[in-house]
Amino acid sequence: MKGKTTIEDLVGIEHSKLNFFQELQQSIEELKESNKELEEQRRETAAILDGITDVMMVLSEDLRIISVNHVFMQLFPDSDPHGQYCYKYFRHSHTPCRECPAFRSLSTDTVCRETAIFRINGRNMQFEMVASPLKSPYLPEHRVLIFKRDVTLEKEYQAKFYQAEKMATMGVLAAGVAHEINNPLTAVTGFAEGIRRRLPKLRGLVDDQLFTDFQEYTDTILKECLRCQDIVQTLLTFSRPSSAEFSQLSLNSVVSETVWLLHNHFKKHHNIKVNLNLDETVPHIFGDEAQLKQVVLNLLTNALDSMSETGNKDRCYFSGVLAVETAPFGESGAKLIVSDTGCGIPPDNIDKLFEPFFTTKNVGKGIGIGLSTCYSIVRKHGGEITVTSTEGKGSQFTVTLPGNRGEQRV
Amino acid sequence: MSVTKFAIPEVIFGNSSLRYLAQCALRLGARRIFLVSDPGLEKAGWVQHVIDILSEDRLECVYYNDVDSNPRDWQVHEGARLYTEERADLIIGLGGGSPIDAAKGIATIASNGGRIHDYEGANRIMRPLPPMIFIPTTAGSGSDISQYCIITDVERQLKMSIISRSLVPNVSIIDPSLLLTKTVELILASAIDALAHAVESYVSRLASPFTETQALYAIRLIMENLETAARTRNPAALEKLSIASTAAGMSFSNAGLGIGHALAHSLGGRYDVLHGLVHPVLLPHVMRYNLPVCREKMDNIAAVVLQSCDPAGTGRALEGIEQLEHMFRSLQVTTRLRDILPDDSQLEQICKMAVPDECALTNPREATWTDLMGICKEAW
Repeated sequence: MKGKTTIEDLVGIEHSKLNFFQELQQSIEELKESNKELEEQRRETAAILDGITDVMMVLSEDLRIISVNHVFMQLFPDSDPHGQYCYKYFRHSHTPCRECPAFRSLSTDTVCRETAIFRINGRNMQFEMVASPLKSPYLPEHRVLIFKRDVTLEKEYQAKFYQAEKMATMGVLAAGVAHEINNPLTAVTGFAEGIRRRLPKLRGLVDDQLFTDFQEYTDTILKECLRCQDIVQTLLTFSRPSSAEFSQLSLNSVVSETVWLLHNHFKKHHNIKVNLNLDETVPHIFGDEAQLKQVVLNLLTNALDSMSETGNKDRCYFSGVLAVETAPFGESGAKLIVSDTGCGIPPDNIDKLFEPFFTTKNVGKGIGIGLSTCYSIVRKHGGEITVTSTEGKGSQFTVTLPGNRGEQRV
Repeated sequence: MSVTKFAIPEVIFGNSSLRYLAQCALRLGARRIFLVSDPGLEKAGWVQHVIDILSEDRLECVYYNDVDSNPRDWQVHEGARLYTEERADLIIGLGGGSPIDAAKGIATIASNGGRIHDYEGANRIMRPLPPMIFIPTTAGSGSDISQYCIITDVERQLKMSIISRSLVPNVSIIDPSLLLTKTVELILASAIDALAHAVESYVSRLASPFTETQALYAIRLIMENLETAARTRNPAALEKLSIASTAAGMSFSNAGLGIGHALAHSLGGRYDVLHGLVHPVLLPHVMRYNLPVCREKMDNIAAVVLQSCDPAGTGRALEGIEQLEHMFRSLQVTTRLRDILPDDSQLEQICKMAVPDECALTNPREATWTDLMGICKEAW
C-alpha cells in the first residue's frame, strides 16, 4: 500500500470531485502544447525546405502535382499547380516527356537522374533532375519527389570556357601557321623579285610574246605574294594576345582592313552591294586593334548572314545592301555604323541579343558567342554598342568609341 | 474549530422521484447507460422499471447484475470491461450498498484503468469518473451520498475502502416508495446500519456542526420510526427512514466513521457476513468503549434515544446504550457475535486487520487490536 491514510486525507480539503470539465481543460492544454510543438517543427521543416534553391515537386504516380516549393512558384508565378500535370507546366504537352525520370524511379525504386532543356517564359533553361520514389505505408499511394536544378548558367559558362579554349588554340595555331608561311613566302617573293630584276636581260633574246607572258606572270606572283603577306599579317594581328597594350589607331583602317579580309567573301555573292563610306575626319582612337577588328568582323558577318535567309534555305542565296560607315563622335570619339537590309530582329529578341549563347542561327552555323564578345570588347574600350531593327527590313548596329584618352579605359 | 469540508451530491428526494431519472441522465449527456443492480431487484421488477423509464427517452441501457452482497474486485473489473466494450457513457447504480459500491468501482476502473486495489485508501483517484446517478433501494447504506466505496479483495480476504470525492455521485435519487418491496429483515438491517453511521460519525474526530445535526436528526428519525416501519411497513415511516439514512450518509461521508465499521469491514472481508447484521451486535459495545472520551456527545445521543420513551436527562449515556440494546432485542435482530460467526478462532486476525482500516482513523478513542479483541469478546 502507498502511504498510510491520515485523518487529513479523509477531510480532503484540497481534493474535489473531478469533473470532465477539468479533464477537458487539461487535454486542451495538452493539445495546445503539442500543437505548439508541432507548429514549431513544421516551421523548422518549412525553413529547411525554403532553404532549398532547386525546384521541388511531389508528384503522384500519374505525374499530377501534389505540392511544390517556393522556387517553383518563382518560376511560375500567379499559378496554381496543384492537381495539374507536371508535363503540362514544363512542356505544354499532353503526354509525359520521354526522358522523364519519375517513371523509372517509381518502377525501379531507385533515385534516377536526368538532364533536360525546358523552355520556360521564353527562355531556354537546362535542368538537372533527380527523381526519388516516395513509398511509405503512411501514404495512400506512391509518390515521387522531383528536384530540378537550374544548370543553365553553369552550362553557359562551360560552353564559354570551351569556346575560349578553342579560340586560344586557334590563335596559337594561326600564329604558328602564319610564321611558317611567312618564311617560304619571303623566299618566293625574293626569288620573284630576282626574276623581275633579271627579266630585262631576256628582252630580245626570247620571243616577244613569251617575254610579255613572263613579265605578266612575275607581276602576278609578286602581287599575290603581297596579298599573302597581308593575309598573314592580318592573321598575326588577330592572334596577338588580347592583353596587348592599347595603342593609337585609326578606326578607318581597322574597318577597311577587315572589309578587305572579307573581300573574297563579298565577291562570291554578286547580289550583295557593299557601300563603304569612311569619313576621313574620324579622329584616331585609343584601343586594341585585334579586338576591334574582331568586333567589325562579327558585325559584318552577322549582317551578311541576315541577308541570306531571304533566299532559298538549302542553297545560301545572299542579296541586299551592306553599308559600313564611320563618322566622328562627340568631341573626339569615333562612330561605326553597320547596317544591312536583311531579315531584321524580332522585338522579343532585341533584349537578348548580347546575351551569351543566344542565337537564332541553325545548329552548326553559330554558337551565339559573337555579339556577346563584341559587347564586352566595346565595353572594355569604354564604348557602347546599340542596335535598331525593323523585322523584315534590316538592322543597324552602332558602335561608339570614346576619343583619344587612355585614362577612359575601363 | 479546524477547517472542515461538507460535500454531498445533488439529492432528489421524494416518492416517485424516480421519474426524474431520464432527465437527469440526459442532462449529464448520457446516450448509452450502464445500469448496475442485482438479481433481487430484478425479481422485484425495479430493474425493468428503470430500463423502461430510460427507454421512454430513447436512452439505451447496458445491464450488469453480477454483484454479490459484498461486491468482489473481479466483479468490478468485469463490469468495467463491459462498460468500456459497450461504450457506455453514464453509470446508474440501483440497489443497496453493494450494487452502488460496485457501480463506483466500475466507474473508477473504466476511467482510471488499472486494478481496483490500486485506489485503496484516500484520494488516489486522479482522473474524472463517468457521470453517476445512484438510486438507493435500502434506507441504510448511505453509499449513494458518500465518498466511500467498499470492495472485497478476494485474495487478501479483506474489504478495501476507496475514499475519494470523485466517488460522490452527480445525482442521488432517493425514492422511498422503492422500500415498499423490501423484507422486514432488510429494512431492519439497513436502518441499524444507518443508525451506526449516525452514531459513529456523531462522535467522530472529524464531526462538524454540519454533520452533527444530520447525525442527531438521523438517530431521532430512526428511533421514532423503526418499529413502526418494521411492523407495519407504513409508507410514511419508511419515508422517514429514508430521510434518516440520507442524513446519516451526509454525516458519515464528511465526518468519517469509527472502529465499529472498521471491525464490520474486517468481519465482512473474512466471513462474508451481511454488513447490516454486524451493527446491532457491535454498536453498543463500541459505544461503551468510546464513552470515556466523548461523554457529552454520548449523553446527547442518550437524550435523543431516551426521548422517545422517557423525559430527557444528562449523564444518562449508559442508559441510552442499554435502551438501544433493548430495542435491538425487541426487534429480534441478532445481538451476539457468536450467532453470526462460525467460531471465534479468527477473531485475533480480524481485530488486527481492523486496526489499519480507514474507518478506525476517526474513532474518538485510539484502539489497539487488543482493545478491539475486548469489544469482540464482550459481544461474543
